[in-house]
Amino acid sequence: MIGRRGLIGLGTVAGVIALWFALTTLTGIVSGARFPSPSEFWASLVQIWTRGYAGGQLLTHALHSLKLVVMGFLVAIATGIPLGLWMGWSRRAEAAINPVFLVIRPIPPLAWIPLAILWLGLGDAAKIMVIWFSAFVPSVINTFAGVRNIDRPILEAARMLGTPRWRMVTEIIAPAASPLIFTGLRLSLQASWTTLVAAELVGAMVGVGFVLNMAQQDLYPAMILVGMITVGILGWATTFALARVERQALAWNVAARD
Amino acid sequence: MGSIRFQNVDKVFGASQAGVKVLDDINLAIGEKEFVAIVGPSGCGKTTCLRMVAGFEAPSSGTITVSGKVVTEPGPDRAVVFQQFALFPWKTVRENIDLGLRNKNLPAAERDRLIADALKLMNLESHAGAFPHQLSGGMQQRVAIARAYVLDPDVLLMDEPFGALDAQTRVVMQEELVRLARVNPRTVLFITHAVEEAVYLADRVAIMTRRPGRIKEVLDIKSVRIAENWDRFARIEDVMDQESFVHLRTQIWKSLREEKGAQGV
Repeated sequence: MIGRRGLIGLGTVAGVIALWFALTTLTGIVSGARFPSPSEFWASLVQIWTRGYAGGQLLTHALHSLKLVVMGFLVAIATGIPLGLWMGWSRRAEAAINPVFLVIRPIPPLAWIPLAILWLGLGDAAKIMVIWFSAFVPSVINTFAGVRNIDRPILEAARMLGTPRWRMVTEIIAPAASPLIFTGLRLSLQASWTTLVAAELVGAMVGVGFVLNMAQQDLYPAMILVGMITVGILGWATTFALARVERQALAWNVAARD
Repeated sequence: MGSIRFQNVDKVFGASQAGVKVLDDINLAIGEKEFVAIVGPSGCGKTTCLRMVAGFEAPSSGTITVSGKVVTEPGPDRAVVFQQFALFPWKTVRENIDLGLRNKNLPAAERDRLIADALKLMNLESHAGAFPHQLSGGMQQRVAIARAYVLDPDVLLMDEPFGALDAQTRVVMQEELVRLARVNPRTVLFITHAVEEAVYLADRVAIMTRRPGRIKEVLDIKSVRIAENWDRFARIEDVMDQESFVHLRTQIWKSLREEKGAQGV
């Protein structure tokens, strides 16, 4: 079922495509050398989907990029959430780790790309490392904030009930901080895509960023547009999947907000 | 088992020289299965008294013992019912009650039995699978009381437990607590600023001075309740109509008003 909001959204998309058609094919205000017409876009899409471009078909590029994002993101949250929990729980850990963070945080994640390529080459490992660095920070910071924002009576109630240390982390601290942890995950996922495409633009043999890079060198705006829209769709799909997980995990919380 | 004793307890918040003294030489002994309410002007440190028995805060000097042991940290022998309920919103009613039992490493069958008893005691049987946000404030506080009772604690610490409830629910819960105290008597330390509530529920009422809080006087309610046979009434309003009740309430009000007057309010 498409609701009223869905219809409005579809209307906008249709309007944008109509305007696109009008500006390019219909009137020629925008020349094909700068921006492709809908038919050129479609032709490029068919080309990369069937015969391939930049060494592979669209699905190969897209799945490769998706795989790297998912892996980098998972490594980042598997390290970032525990570190954030630990820093939130222990003032001593915070005191020890925070200075390092203050220095590392302002470095844009993309600035790690040269070092990553130098260390690990143009393969997957370098990209996973860069994604890890960029997605790690939002996970840590939001998890940390989530722990620090837990209502004191919740923690006191758990202590009063004699909750042992490990159960305290898994059953009290982590779920209590989870709304903010998920905020961190959303930011981490966004950062993962940004970083991956940038890393693939700089050095890669396959992937959506590589497609964009090749299309630029070939002066092929229609293929650039195909690459951009592919990134958009992939980013939307992963965000959507994460939102589904969040809704499941925070059912107790979402319902409370209604 | 189940006594509480404050001996020369002082509490200073902040650095000891520049700090604010909130409690001054508190001495109070609460006997086994006795229900003692502390009333006092706001900011007098009555909640701090309870928090120290719970082990959330340490006295600056003096000692607090529960069942003869000096309190050093929180533990399930001293169950707390908080004003804001402090339920775990991601756990169901049943899981909230179960946590303390799991922490005691009780076998599943025994936990099931104890949870069933606690749910029945607080009339929560039909809500075992609900999450806290699906319940009204009064129901949530029932869960918190069940969570405390199920631990079979030496003492029950209640920090303005009905303060966040609306007036009607509050009355229901007060009557409920009297019923509980009859079927399952406990040592209770009850903090409140509601004078009627203290007189209705407690065996003794301790009145505190304004800050730095001292115990100003302790009134014996139990002997009056027995002599006047308040227990023949099922409803709080009938008890509150009794001349003996009104007399005690007025006495406490006057005592508290002196404190407010001294404060210049």
